[in-house]
Amino acid sequence: MYSSPQRRRVLKALVLAYPLVSGALLLSPAQARQRKLPLTVLDAGEAADLETVIEALVPGSAEAGAVHFIDFQLARPAVDSLLMLRYLGVPQPHVDFYRSGLAALAQHSSERFGKRPSELPASSLDQLIADLIADDTPGWSGPPASFLYFVWRSDGVDVTYGTEEGMAALGTPYMAHIRPQQVW
Amino acid sequence: MVNLRDKVDLLVVGSGAAGSVFAAEASAAGKQVVLLEAGPARTPDDLVSSQLWARRLKWGGAHVEEEGNHQVGHSFNAGWGIGGSTMHHYGVWPRLHKNDFQTFTEFGQGLDWPLQYDELRPYYDRIQSSIGLSGDATQERWRPPGEPYPMPPVPVFGQGRLLAEGFARLDLHTAPLPLAVNTIPYRGRPACMYDGWCDAGCPIGALGNAQTVFLAKALKSGAEIRDGAMVTRLLTSTGGQRIEGVEYHSVDGVLHRQYADVVVLAAFTVQNARLLLASANSRHPRGLANHSGLVGRYLMTHPAVSVYGMFDAETQPGLGPTGGQLMNQDGYDNKLAVDNAYGSFQWIIANAVKPNGLLGIANNRADIYGPQLKPFLQRAVNHIGVMTLVSEDIALAENRVELSSARDAFGVPLARAVHNLGKSSAALVAHAMEQGKAVMDAAGAREQWRGPQAGMHIMGGTVMGSDPSKSVTNSYGQSHDINNLYIAGPGLFPGSGAVNPTFTIHALALRAAEHLLRNWP
Repeated sequence: MYSSPQRRRVLKALVLAYPLVSGALLLSPAQARQRKLPLTVLDAGEAADLETVIEALVPGSAEAGAVHFIDFQLARPAVDSLLMLRYLGVPQPHVDFYRSGLAALAQHSSERFGKRPSELPASSLDQLIADLIADDTPGWSGPPASFLYFVWRSDGVDVTYGTEEGMAALGTPYMAHIRPQQVW
Repeated sequence: MVNLRDKVDLLVVGSGAAGSVFAAEASAAGKQVVLLEAGPARTPDDLVSSQLWARRLKWGGAHVEEEGNHQVGHSFNAGWGIGGSTMHHYGVWPRLHKNDFQTFTEFGQGLDWPLQYDELRPYYDRIQSSIGLSGDATQERWRPPGEPYPMPPVPVFGQGRLLAEGFARLDLHTAPLPLAVNTIPYRGRPACMYDGWCDAGCPIGALGNAQTVFLAKALKSGAEIRDGAMVTRLLTSTGGQRIEGVEYHSVDGVLHRQYADVVVLAAFTVQNARLLLASANSRHPRGLANHSGLVGRYLMTHPAVSVYGMFDAETQPGLGPTGGQLMNQDGYDNKLAVDNAYGSFQWIIANAVKPNGLLGIANNRADIYGPQLKPFLQRAVNHIGVMTLVSEDIALAENRVELSSARDAFGVPLARAVHNLGKSSAALVAHAMEQGKAVMDAAGAREQWRGPQAGMHIMGGTVMGSDPSKSVTNSYGQSHDINNLYIAGPGLFPGSGAVNPTFTIHALALRAAEHLLRNWP
């Protein structure tokens, strides 16, 4: 069972693949975003705000398809989720965490800047993130703002740098035993 | 409708470190053995090299509520699927020290174990031979007596060499980390390739875990493993003196009753306590095996912190075992060495790290974001060094697993894990952090920082002891109240020590399994 000389193998593991038609076509989150595939869980406003914030935290994550990745993970059975949130003791369904967090974010942005996060100029977006980090969010009604910052930043890192291409971009080899899906 | 299953000799709930040893030993002795595993089956091909994919190896069952100033981190520490937590464990296998077994007698802290190191030593030695450990016992000046390791140590990469120099400049010592990682082919399993994917599972089998060793042995001897079998209740006889079996739900929703001569509860610390408490009946109104009222009590976790440094030199941080390359246990045996503090601690040195993941490079500097993030990561993937503190916890009765008012999909109350770290334990961590900072400075780190403090490993909750009024089981994990019920795993530990628990879990399970087979109830 373990004596195979073929010690690094390519396996079609559906790590981050985004199924357009089950069994017929698989897309990466980046491809799904590029093709503007409809989201399953998040609405357009939530998606735009989430993409704006994660891109500000992890540049390149929008193009890597962070929002499509998150949306797909939220739509699948909880036990199959690849989100880091499953490590952090947050009860399922995790869509409640993201949705309530995004609602709180939008409300704070509106009260502070008069606009949704996705509509903010860069300087205001910087301040919005600073507010999250410092939990400087009076009247906040969602998960703790600094915790949301941590989770969203981590999601962005996952999609942008947790892949073979991402690690190559950092100048470090991936060295897989079993490679993740290549249809990124 | 209930599906009644034919009675078997031994029913094991949980297929991880402890359950796999019971199953292997009993089936080899000719007993009919069934293991029930709540999570899915896994094959080596499921173990994709990815920090994202690795998340499926962690807990996927009912939510565990957590409270306290130092939570145990159940979702991160517990496994999901055949092999349990061993499928994502790092394979760091030091032994407990002699005085870890008598902390109350020697230091007036916590609880004594009902056995001494010398009684456990032969089982450590035999497990070490079975699973294969790499290391160098001659360099572990702090190691209690035991057979030499059957394999040479893992190689030391850049960060390990730098950090070892830092320890040496402070007159501290390092030794190769004892690991359940093959450095040479061993008993049909290949040698490690040192590419840092241990916690995503090891598809080549170089990492010793339940699937590679003891479950394989159990299956070869005829044991049956049923995956997707969620146990929801333990069943006792009418008079309550014996356990008769368990109820479980299969993934198709069918409720089964499986009867057995003997039941071993090896579902990990929190779920073991939860199942015992949730199986209360008229004969056991406070829960099974709970005459003492101590089921769930003395919950423990190792306070753990990683310390990071950025070096000018190349450190190769992506290479080597995730668990580390070297260790330091100087001062381990004097638990009163630090003013106002109590306990032992160890450093596990030069952990392999990847860019993403909860313990990855990016998350250990969560303050960096935006345009600064990529340059930081580009530098860190070649120049970071890391070492991780594992510190002792004290068994305190108020730290506990209890039942929540909320229930899971099967109507079973959820577990609530309450854990607070005592002041003297916190003081020890603070002292160790000062030492870690000094080591990083001595090693030549340009800058350094520490990660968050978190719970590593989960122990206690069904503690063993000699006095039935002060413990849940005897030294074999046999319930004081129900003699054909055995409890297995780190929940038995009356003390945490400051070493990774998996080696001790195996040694205790082997000792208990042999006791069971000699004294079949």
